[in-house]
Amino acid sequence: MRLPIQINEQSAEPLYHQIEVQLRALIVSGQLAEGTLLPSIRELAQTVKCSVITVKRVYNDLEAEGLLRTRQGTGTYVAEVCEKERDRYRLGAVMEALDQAVIAAKRVKCTEEELESMLKEAIKKHFD
Amino acid sequence: MNESAVRLDGIVLNRSNFKLGPLYMDIPLGYITAIVGPNGCGKSSTFRLMLDLDKADQGMIELLGCNVSQGMDTELKKRIGYLHDQSSSHENSMTGAAKAEFHRFWYDEWDINLYRELLQALEVEDHLMLGKMSKGMRRKFELALALAHGPELLLLDEPSSGLDPLAWKTMIELLHRYMEQGDRTILMTTHIIEEVKRLADYIVFMAQGKVLGMYEKDELFSSWYTLFVSGADLTAKLAAELPGQCGVEHAGATTFRVTTNQAAEAEEWCAAEGYQIVSRQVLELDEIMSALLQQNRLHKRKI
Repeated sequence: MRLPIQINEQSAEPLYHQIEVQLRALIVSGQLAEGTLLPSIRELAQTVKCSVITVKRVYNDLEAEGLLRTRQGTGTYVAEVCEKERDRYRLGAVMEALDQAVIAAKRVKCTEEELESMLKEAIKKHFD
Repeated sequence: MNESAVRLDGIVLNRSNFKLGPLYMDIPLGYITAIVGPNGCGKSSTFRLMLDLDKADQGMIELLGCNVSQGMDTELKKRIGYLHDQSSSHENSMTGAAKAEFHRFWYDEWDINLYRELLQALEVEDHLMLGKMSKGMRRKFELALALAHGPELLLLDEPSSGLDPLAWKTMIELLHRYMEQGDRTILMTTHIIEEVKRLADYIVFMAQGKVLGMYEKDELFSSWYTLFVSGADLTAKLAAELPGQCGVEHAGATTFRVTTNQAAEAEEWCAAEGYQIVSRQVLELDEIMSALLQQNRLHKRKI
């Protein structure tokens, strides 16, 4: 199976973090259902052109978070994600994106009012 | 630390026109390690020493936990697959099938079905004489031979030389499939950057008969960046203080193009000093290599 994970080589964000964020999103959003067998470490490393060390780290991190479980000899599966946890992750990802937006706004010296009106505009654009 | 598949401890080889070493290398078991370096840096010589085709003047070599400095027994050879950088001319009048038969005799684990499957995947016919095969065809045949006994350790000396792009892709897939078991190791030399990107977990840089360093691939690529740094009072001298600096170039006005091998520290430094990073670029493997070579040369000049 090919996971829809896109890597931005030019980004300053570490590779493992890019993969981790995207894989977490796939699990939490339910796009990868519980019990789905993930590609082997070597396979995923091949598709995103990184080393197996990086993929191992991602799988380990997500396993520690309880999103994945590894069965010896058979592979890595998507674990059960309970509703509450799903919500926490779901909103967490949005919160992180908003943080980034605010940082970007501060960089170009936006005022709070400008930022608020921009956010409202964006909401309008996508929800109506 | 991981178990090692290949260990070189102070290997020295003296030739009238070349000195190799002292080499220290620790190739981890279960990973793909690529050795890169300019022509004549001693990559192939190192391989020949590992396989006991040449004798080192000093030092110790360990393959799969066995010391091979005192010669290599057939039992150990059975656990290793090797692809030469050049095919031997004395085999020219031998058909592929005859050579395969010879391999089958020596390797207990020879898997005829796997061999057939590999030939088919690589689109090679083994009834041809080896001398009659095209360069790429012969490479593919040799690759199939090296893989067909399911070795624990695969030594590949420029495996892709002569392969067309489609065959190259097949080779990459075959090697990934070979690694799937998890306890296998590939040590390879290459000049192809894309090959390193697609295959390697670790990268060893070699130059002038020495190891310049061994790096985990993603860590290497994430620590080398070219940053365009800008600041009102920034001068070339100040920009040179950037952590990990390996070259400063003026890029117009008060912007400098600085190459660093400590990207994270460099960014922190810029933030602390109040300089702005206008843009950042990753370095390609060849650029990293030439920067490392240059550093190595400068370092030597100081001594």
